Order: sequence, then C-alpha cells, then structure tokens
Amino acid sequence: MNEQIRATQAAMERWGYVADPEIATAVYLAREMRKPLLVEGEAGVGKTEIAKVLARMLSTELVRLQCYEGLDSNTALYEWNYQRQLLRLKIAEREARNPDELEDLIFGREYLLERPLLRAITRREGPAVLLIDEIDRADEGFEAFLLELLSDFQITIPELGTIRAEHVPVVVLTSNRSREIGDALRRRCLYLYLEHPGFEKELRILRGKVPAVSEQLATTVTRFVQRLRAQPLRKLPGVAETLDWAQALVRLHRDVLDAETARATLGCLLKDEQDIKSTGEERLAELLAYAAAKD
Amino acid sequence: MSAAHGMVAQLARFAGALRSGGFRVGLSEEIDAAAALALVDLLDRAEVHRTLRIAFRLPRDAWDAFDRLFEEYWDGRHVPQHPALDHALERESLRPAQWRWDGQRVRLEMPDERERPEGDTPGYSPEAALRRKPFEEFSESDLAVMERLVAQLARRLATRRSRRRVPTAARGVVDLRRSFRRALASDGDFLKLARRARPLDETRLVILFDTSGSMDVYTRVLLAFAFALRRVVRRVEIFAFNTTLVRVTRMIAPGKVLRSLESLSAGVPDWSGGTRIGACLAEFVALHKDVRVDRNTVVVCVSDGLDQGDTELLERSMRELRSRAGKIIWLNPLLGDARYRPECAGMRAALPYVDHFAPAHNLDSLRGLLRLVA
Repeated sequence: MNEQIRATQAAMERWGYVADPEIATAVYLAREMRKPLLVEGEAGVGKTEIAKVLARMLSTELVRLQCYEGLDSNTALYEWNYQRQLLRLKIAEREARNPDELEDLIFGREYLLERPLLRAITRREGPAVLLIDEIDRADEGFEAFLLELLSDFQITIPELGTIRAEHVPVVVLTSNRSREIGDALRRRCLYLYLEHPGFEKELRILRGKVPAVSEQLATTVTRFVQRLRAQPLRKLPGVAETLDWAQALVRLHRDVLDAETARATLGCLLKDEQDIKSTGEERLAELLAYAAAKD
Repeated sequence: MSAAHGMVAQLARFAGALRSGGFRVGLSEEIDAAAALALVDLLDRAEVHRTLRIAFRLPRDAWDAFDRLFEEYWDGRHVPQHPALDHALERESLRPAQWRWDGQRVRLEMPDERERPEGDTPGYSPEAALRRKPFEEFSESDLAVMERLVAQLARRLATRRSRRRVPTAARGVVDLRRSFRRALASDGDFLKLARRARPLDETRLVILFDTSGSMDVYTRVLLAFAFALRRVVRRVEIFAFNTTLVRVTRMIAPGKVLRSLESLSAGVPDWSGGTRIGACLAEFVALHKDVRVDRNTVVVCVSDGLDQGDTELLERSMRELRSRAGKIIWLNPLLGDARYRPECAGMRAALPYVDHFAPAHNLDSLRGLLRLVA
C-alpha cells in the first residue's frame, strides 16, 4: 500500500474515523488530484462524517451547505444586507451625497452577507473543507450552477465584480441517491460508495465513539445490529443508530441485553413503524440469541 | 516502451473492455484513472482495484460486474460479452415462463386457475365501484364515467408547484433583491415591489403503448386514460407500438375515445398483432429526438412485456432511456393478478431500468400512477 494512503488512514483514525483502505484511498486521491469527492451510500454510513474529519485533520474550517428542494443560488452564494442598505440610504438622504459615491458605499463588502459557497472560497487562512450535503435533494438547476463553481472556483457578483478563490477548498459532496446525480457533475468528482460496515469495523467505531460501553455489551450490540441488517427492512439502521442504541443502553445501566430492554429501546434502531411491527417477539428472540452467541 | 506508457495503454484497453461490458466510462474517467494510478502503489493489486473503482466512478450496482471484469482482465482471460446483463438476470430466480395461447390471446397459465372474484357491490356510487372493476369488464358507459374521473385525477399532475421561487409580475412574496435594485432608480423609494412566486412545475409525459393482441382488453381503457391526461397536461406525447412504432399524439380527439380508437386502429399497422418491444423502443430513442426526454420527463411504458423480438435490443434501449429520463414507469396490467411473476424474457430485461413497476388493471391502480408521476 502507498505510504501516503496509509498515513491518511492513520490520520483519519486518530481523529476518530475508522477508515478502511477504500475510504483512505479516495480521500487521498481527491486531495492529491484536487478533485471534489462525491460520496454516496445509505443513510447513516458516515458520509457526512468524512468531511468533518477532514476539516479536523487539516485543522481548518468546515463550511457546510445543506441542500434541499428549492435551494437557489442566492441562498447558497451571497445576499445583500437589504435592511442595512436601506437604513444607509435613508441616512444618506440627509447628507445629500453624490449618488455614485453612495452606490459604491452600499454595495461594499460590508453590506454583503456571505453564504456557504462564497465563504468557502474567500477563506484567507487556507483552504476550507466545503461539505455540500445531500446534493440529490437540490434541483438539477442548482447542480448545473454548482458545476460552474466547482470548475472555476470563482463567483461573479454584478455589483462587485469577480471574486476568485483565495485557496481552492477541499470539496466533499454527499448523496443518498434519492435521484441520480447528473453525468456532468459526476465527471468532475471522484466517487466513493460507502456500505454499512462489517462486524469488526462497526465494533471498533462503537468502542471509539461510546467508550462507556462494556466490551461484552459492545459485542452483543454489534452482532445484533449486523444480524438485523440482514432482515428485509424498509430502513436499515446505520452506524449512527448503533451508536444511539449503545448510548441509550449505557444510560439505562444495562450490561446485558434482554428481550424487554431490546423491545423498549428498539426505536433507537428502527425508525419505521412497519419495521418495528415486523420485528415480532419471535424474530427479536432469534436476533438476541444470535447476538449473545460466542462464536 | 516506458512503464508509464505501457500502463496507459493497458488502462485504455481495460476501459474499452468496460465500455463493451455496458459501463459508462468516458475519456474523462480514463484520464482520472491514469492520474490516480500514478499516485498509488501499482504493485498492490487491491489498491489498484480500489483506485479504479473510485476514478471510474462506478455506482454500487455495477461493482459485482466490475469486479469480475477486473479479475478476468488482469488474469488476461477473455472478456465476456455482457457482464452487466448477466448480473441483472442472476438476481431474479429463473423459472420457466408460464404463457399460454388460448386461440385468441396469450394468457397467463396458473396452477390453480379460478374464477376471478367479483369486486363490485350493488348500491355503490358508480365511480367507487369502477375503481376496482377490472378493465376487461368495462362497458361503454363505464368508459364515460371513467374519463370524468381520470380528468379529475390528472389535474393534479399539472398543478404541482416547484419549490423554487422565480420572479413574477403577479402575486407572490416580496423579492428584496430586485425591489431594491428598482428602488435605486427612484432615489431609494420603493414605488413598486418586485415579487417572486413558485412556478408550476409541469411534468412532461411520454407514454409508450403496447397495442398488441395480448394487450387488447386493456388498450382501450388505458388509451382513454392517456387521452384524459393529454387534455389536462399539455406536454404529453403518446406513441403506440406493436411491431412498429407510431406517434399517435395528434390522432387523438380528446373526449371522443371511441372515435379516436377507430382512427387509431386504422392508423396503426398491425393493431392487435404481435410485439417487438425492443425494436420499437430503439426506434423511439434513435428517431424521435424532438420528443424531449429529460429529468422532468416521466416515461410511462404500458406493456405486458411479451416480446417476440430481440431482448438485447430492449435492454440497450432501456438503458439509454434510463440515462435520460427522470423516471421510468412500467405499467403491466398482468401485475394486477397477485399470482403474476415478471418472468418473460422481455420483462426481465427491462426491469433493472424501471423505477416503478406497477399494475394497471383497474382505476385504483391508475390512481397510484398519478402519485408516482407527480
């Protein structure tokens, strides 16, 4: 394995992210090739966490843009502070200023409200980590706009002129695959698909994130969740759910997992009514028996 | 030949093999892969494998096929023709087809063929009863009632609002950005406020209709449904196909289902004949470029998938449609039967590319369609 990939992997682990070689390779390549990294995968497999860990690793700022249907470029880029501009205009009326001068004044940088994308490219202290979260929720129009930004890293504001990136940010995009990302945007990125972690990995994540959990309980919980994911569910529990559940069990001071506790706390794992209903007593008993087994 | 040059050449060959295996690997993927390989340990086979997967941007469902191809290619063995297809077929457990020709039309043969239970109860409102009534039992007056109902349902399609706001001259929320710009012209006085509102987000529909013999009982009602849609949604294109593809959008007089049907069966050759779905879809993809199929377009294919033609062609056309359309819905009237399994070759080839595979045997199932489309 390439030394630098190994180093990336070690660094991510140090900052609390259990990264397998695939993730480390993708992160390393994205940084070396200066390309955005598109991370896809089911909810709760740790897509967003990659960007957060990257920011900590590089000890820089994490700028996050949460996408949603209807997100437009104004909200993502910049907005003028209209209230302040208006106030300034009213004051200017009494001062009888030269109009050109006035315009320069109210369209100055201090009246500009930076939104995430502008913030990410104007950071002076060094490259920021720009997280564009759940890009699949934004409209295609926004995707096209993003394409332009991600290739040139410059933004044109009619009143101010073109603002070029001080440092090209490290960009991570995530998608839940609620729709397919356009080819053009995909082409700009490197691609990483995350799956639910295997037993060893999930156990390590759990021990790392919830130190209070006993060794035995951690093993039981992980085995239980791994087995649960093999069931035909509508919404599979992610790592986040495993952590929540372990956290809940610790709070309840449970060291062993019995049927009653499991039933009462099942809502930590399963977030769908039908999934909870379909996990009846029998199946629960089977899951618990599997989780408690030693092999 | 230098080592780097050899690597690039090998990469190009591998990318070519991927393409012929049905992967969308373009030049930009190759360039990225070459750049990425220069950064990693080429002696580590697993690392090369990971790197290629990342740089070629392969989605999860393509992994298995890619892994197989990677293995075979790296061992220097022959590249199989269609690994992606093999993969898709493996997922369904294959059972022999269960179709029977009963002299008039192809029918599903079931181990326990029983009488279809009667769904309607006397005293119901005609519409409520109609909703569950199988199309095979529709009469002329039923058709008229249905048209009214469908029009009402279809209106929902045309009235979905976008979540984005765009400038408007009519009512809406105040757009400060534009209002402010305007105010500058009048010395900072807001004489007229600019506004923004949510535009109507019109879904485009492309309906592809199977008019072959095995679909006969459904065609009339489903076409009536399409007509009703057309009256409400402006952007509907309707095609009929059996052994050839015919654009029928303009042959249709809204509100006159029967007359339209007559002119259709005169205008569409081989009405009630056999089907070559693959060839017809390929023709649609290749020739009707003026019919816009983009992310706002929902392609509805109405067919039982009983294909007499080339399933490979069908698969290729479906893949092409998949890459362009926002959504592909396949309506199969046979799906209304709980015992039905999509096992005929045509249906199997098309299924991996379909977003929603839904029944279309009564009005209730068509209602479901509107939910999928909007």
